[in-house]
Amino acid sequence: MSSEPIISLVNVTKKIGKATIIDDLTFDVPQGEIFGFLGPNGAGKTTTIRMIVGLMSITKGKILIKGKNIKSEFEQAIRHVGAIVESPEMYKYLTGYQNLVHYARMVEGVSKERIDEVVSLVKLENRIHDKVSKYSLGMRQRLGVAQALLHRPSLLILDEPTNGLDPAGIRELRDYLRHLTRTEGITVIVSSHLLSEMELMCDRVAILQRGKLINVMPIQQFIQGNDQSQSYLIQATPPEQALSVVRQIDGIQGVNLTQDGLLEVNADKELIPDILEELMKNHIRIYSVQLVSQSLEDRFLEITGVEQIG
Amino acid sequence: MVNLLQNENMKIYRRLRTWILVGLMVAFVILVNTMEWHFDGKKAMDDGWKVTVKQEIQQWNRALKQPNLPDENKKYYEQQIAVNNYHLEKDIRSTDGTMWDGINGSAGLMIVITIFTIIIVGDVVAGEFSSGTIKLLLIRPASRAKILLSKYISVLMFGILLLLVLFVVSIAINGILYGFKYIDLPLIKMNTEGEIVEKSMILNLWKTYMYNGVSTVIYVTMAFMISSAFRSSSMAIGFSIGALFAGNIVMELLQRFDWSKYVLFANIDLTQYLVGSRPFQEGMTFSFSVGVLVVYFLIFNVISWLIFTRRDVAA
Repeated sequence: MSSEPIISLVNVTKKIGKATIIDDLTFDVPQGEIFGFLGPNGAGKTTTIRMIVGLMSITKGKILIKGKNIKSEFEQAIRHVGAIVESPEMYKYLTGYQNLVHYARMVEGVSKERIDEVVSLVKLENRIHDKVSKYSLGMRQRLGVAQALLHRPSLLILDEPTNGLDPAGIRELRDYLRHLTRTEGITVIVSSHLLSEMELMCDRVAILQRGKLINVMPIQQFIQGNDQSQSYLIQATPPEQALSVVRQIDGIQGVNLTQDGLLEVNADKELIPDILEELMKNHIRIYSVQLVSQSLEDRFLEITGVEQIG
Repeated sequence: MVNLLQNENMKIYRRLRTWILVGLMVAFVILVNTMEWHFDGKKAMDDGWKVTVKQEIQQWNRALKQPNLPDENKKYYEQQIAVNNYHLEKDIRSTDGTMWDGINGSAGLMIVITIFTIIIVGDVVAGEFSSGTIKLLLIRPASRAKILLSKYISVLMFGILLLLVLFVVSIAINGILYGFKYIDLPLIKMNTEGEIVEKSMILNLWKTYMYNGVSTVIYVTMAFMISSAFRSSSMAIGFSIGALFAGNIVMELLQRFDWSKYVLFANIDLTQYLVGSRPFQEGMTFSFSVGVLVVYFLIFNVISWLIFTRRDVAA
């Protein structure tokens, strides 16, 4: 497999009027990876996706898909892309099958057999000749996946793909995406606001905020965070005395008393034994020490929020 | 390109709305012609045409005696008298009381074609935006220009379909009402050399269709532009049909201004150059109007193209 990235964004900037919507995005996604876009609403996830698929113009910079510029070589670049942009709106007055025929006609080399194959893949065989207006949201989503896969794209882009899917559907989609990346080497870019979902799906995530790329990191690193600023809850009596002792220890990043009378300490992991030793030296009774594991939401807020607060 | 056209046609003809419009077209043609036949045409069906033709000759003779008659009118009356005399001499019926009377009259129903085609064209781009389907449409290896062109062509094809419906149904219903006896009736007219000639009635009918068709194409192109520019089908349909009806009134108000001859509505009706009627302003000619219409046609299409191919799709 080639090491050339399937897609690369180089200094991509989008301005609408004077407002900078996307500010200087640069990243590559290699083949076979599931790459996630994370970010609060308005961070620019959808705008970025729209620029990748050519729905929006790029003010500055360039986007290359398999080496083809989406702007100047649109037809050659978009050929490799299958996408659902937000909800997959289909022609409601057509049947599911007619919708697929519609999209199949727009690409070279999609046979009737391929349409049938995709239909069975998303398990719509029984309803494919019904009008889309009679479909449930989940069925429409599956039809959306079918149209995106029709032409065997190298890059699959899914904007909020799990909207409207039930948990079983989400799981199915996830397994299927994994399957696609493993067996066909397909690359997937997903955006979602559901962190737990991204955790289960993605290999790497890009964190966007206010149009800027905050970070690109493997999902594991995102979940675990950097070990340096963990927080611990210590139950010790008398708490006030404990507080004053801990405050005097070097290297403590922060300490305060919770409403329950527990000591909340922010410190490097390696400092914990020292803290306990110091407390005991001062004849303070320690009942428990607890690592406060951050939720993904906290991690997310930490990554996206720290800079603006600090 | 053929595939794209197939797609656009599928999106037009797989909708009930389209077939309701086609059905209404059929119903209109039948209704209007039956009423015409009932109130007027029945009386002229037998040998009554000779009386009418003679009456017309007398009328024009009287008109010729008017003082200060413009040359143009004089020539027209003389031509008509010659044509009518030819009818009597050769015993060739005038269209009065034959199926052709109804068929030729039905060409006036082309305004219905214009309205119905505007209804379809108003939705053809705007509808993709309002339903959100535009997003999945534009992320295929087909340029936006090609997609736009295929939409435009598909709509013009719908107009042609309605024209064929008008043609076939008006022949059928008038044949049923008046009988098909005079289906091969020739058209008697004077050519530019001043000779009386017999022409094909069907060819003449299609010539009338083409004359009227020009305004249909222009209105449809205008609606198409509004549909692409404002992405609102109601605006495209409302504005275009409004212009269709209000255009003449507006032009009456503007007639005193010299520049008004460059306004679209002053030129859109090419039948104003047929014999006997006077153009909107002195000095306007058939080729002048065709030139103006071509300019508007190009402007409308360039605007549609510029906006559709460049716009960010944020719907």
